[in-house]
Amino acid sequence: MGFTIYTATGCTRCKIIKQLMNEKGIAFEEQDMKAAGKEAFQKFYAANRKAIFRGPDGVEFPLLHDGITIRQGIGACVAYLLSGTKLDGFFSVGTLHKEWVDGIHVSGGNPEYTTEFLAALQYIKKGNNMKLQLDTNGLNSAILEQILAQDLADVVIMNVLGPKELYSQLAGEAVNITEVEKSLSLVTKFPEYKLQTTVAPVVREDGEISYLTTKEIGATAKFIAEATGSMKNPYLVKLFKPKECKDERFKTIEAMPANALLSYRTAARTHQVFVEIEKN
Amino acid sequence: MSYPTVYPTGVTVYNPKKAWNGFTIFQAREQGALLIDMNGTEVNFWQGLHGFPNKMLPGGYVFGHLGERNNNFGMQDQTDLVQVDWEGNVVWKFNQYEFIEDPGEEPQWMARQHHDYQREGNPVGYYVPGMEPLVDQGNTLILVHKNVKNPKISDKLLLDDVIIEVDWEGNIVWEWACNEHFDEFGFDEAAKNILFRNPNMRTSGGGMGDWMHINSMSVLGPNRFYDAGDERFHPNNIIIDGRETNIICIICKKTGKIVWKLGPNYDSSEDLKKIGWIIGQHHAHMIPKGLPGEGNILVFDNGGWAGYGIPNPSSPTGAKNALRDYSRVLEIDPTTLKIVWQYTPAEAGFLMPTDAEKFYSPYISSAQRLPNGNTLITEGSDGRVFEVTAGHELVWEYISPYKGEKMPTNMVYRAYRLPYEWVPQVERPVEVAIEPVEVTTFRLPGAAPMGAKKTTVIEGTRPYQGDKALCVAAGDEAEE
Repeated sequence: MGFTIYTATGCTRCKIIKQLMNEKGIAFEEQDMKAAGKEAFQKFYAANRKAIFRGPDGVEFPLLHDGITIRQGIGACVAYLLSGTKLDGFFSVGTLHKEWVDGIHVSGGNPEYTTEFLAALQYIKKGNNMKLQLDTNGLNSAILEQILAQDLADVVIMNVLGPKELYSQLAGEAVNITEVEKSLSLVTKFPEYKLQTTVAPVVREDGEISYLTTKEIGATAKFIAEATGSMKNPYLVKLFKPKECKDERFKTIEAMPANALLSYRTAARTHQVFVEIEKN
Repeated sequence: MSYPTVYPTGVTVYNPKKAWNGFTIFQAREQGALLIDMNGTEVNFWQGLHGFPNKMLPGGYVFGHLGERNNNFGMQDQTDLVQVDWEGNVVWKFNQYEFIEDPGEEPQWMARQHHDYQREGNPVGYYVPGMEPLVDQGNTLILVHKNVKNPKISDKLLLDDVIIEVDWEGNIVWEWACNEHFDEFGFDEAAKNILFRNPNMRTSGGGMGDWMHINSMSVLGPNRFYDAGDERFHPNNIIIDGRETNIICIICKKTGKIVWKLGPNYDSSEDLKKIGWIIGQHHAHMIPKGLPGEGNILVFDNGGWAGYGIPNPSSPTGAKNALRDYSRVLEIDPTTLKIVWQYTPAEAGFLMPTDAEKFYSPYISSAQRLPNGNTLITEGSDGRVFEVTAGHELVWEYISPYKGEKMPTNMVYRAYRLPYEWVPQVERPVEVAIEPVEVTTFRLPGAAPMGAKKTTVIEGTRPYQGDKALCVAAGDEAEE
């Protein structure tokens, strides 16, 4: 079955994907939801509502469908067209617009496909003059190193999950902390970077679930200071949003009021002087 | 205004029987915090202690600041808020709000405090019977600055006003940022237009918009309106005023929402029209329970120039589009919006409006209600602090002799009267009455007295009339 691309009139990202398919000699059918393809898109959307991301500005385009698989957004479409499902996890639908592309997760994919991942970034950034905002949680530091060497990111956001001793639990897998330390030292070298930590729930030794404590956020800030050699990193402490959480264990935990972050900021500022807190 | 070249400074009028006698604390321009008695004796001078403002606490403590941020980079940012004892020891300090790295300056934590702060125990920072501010514990509300971007207000960098509450250990436990409540202030489209283009841009730090310029922040405290069930006046709620916007408003401590406000427009209802335009005001606060007028809002309505709105000949862009060349002290019932007491040029005895500018401070200034019903007024721009009775009689007056060298003015931002008991370190001073000088006969050495050497009489002259035929309408005619 051939490809169908759902587009919106004037969508630059859609043109990039169509061009890539033309370059690769992939036949496709275009349905422009703002023109003749409106009805076809509505039908497609109704049938695949759960698989299609709808952001605050509406559905993100392009949407690529090969009869089985749906890919949405420029990053995921490029990755799928260049490497099939190998790059799954590295890309999701972004929310930035104009020349900016986000939804690129350095730590999210299989490092065996680093070459393919870098090629996809290369195509989007160098081939089409887009600007890339990447995120990482510290894993796959070797990939981050190559991204830096090849100048493939304009902004990198690092989610520092928590203090060293809780990192594996927060990541949901065994983490070699030296990898995280390496990423922290790399991330400061990008043209623009931000560090952030979500005050996430943690399953304690006694089975109780509780949010990261102020002391643990302080320890996280200290970890950042030690790994980056600086107390002056741009650092944001964020609120955990139970409703958006995919982990069933944490969905029912009570949301923390925004003002509760004030004491976390105080704790973090001992080691990171430019820490800010998220507002509701 | 026609200020004389020669005039006395220090205490010029003092009626001990009618004044509420105590000490007065203020910032002597470019000198430090100065405590004087009713005759102007300088009881203690905390040299170099900045004061924006200085306030006293029971036990002879004084609040102030160790310094001010370099004005090239910051607008009125005080480095810290400190509590200093009688001997000058810093017993409490807060500076950990923002880490500042200004070019050529040592990187440091700063409070970025400006204009006001309140220590727990007392809602307004001045003497209220039974509401003494805590001196060795308790939280402190501090008005601070923060630079923010908010495209809803302007595309320029903004100098925002933030209120923080810090505990005795210096932890910030509550925070409120003015820019986050922009939609609640009731700006019309004309105001939003000029605000966006020029949010009161100042040159510090390469340019920043001091868009609201909050200059007063105090707690309501217990009050009759809340006692009667009006939640808007919850004792923990905070009242602020914004000089640039002509807004006076009350913030709900719990939700952060604006729950009561005056301005930015004063022509949208008959009640507001009766109040008239409050312009560039300072020190709007609720008179605390236990003082005459309790529950009413007391404000120094400066006049001068302020506001955002429709352009007019005096404001081609709509910036600072409200003007008035005299000041008023107003006491307003916040529920009926009626003026229950006022001190304007008329009560001061000046011909309106031709001599109105003789009571006029276009910036700074304040008003403090005293336990006997008197009001201590700081007419700040001329360094004049004076006390009037409820019947508007002048019973004490002091002109600051401290004129700055770096800025040639004897301005006093805000003065406070405090009871003698708050300063146990000194004996109660002797109070010596100072009768008002009869200015028509007062002469400097060498100046001739009144009285013509020869009086020439012309037959046929007519008697003089009143004020009906000045070049501008004045007096009774102006009121008609």
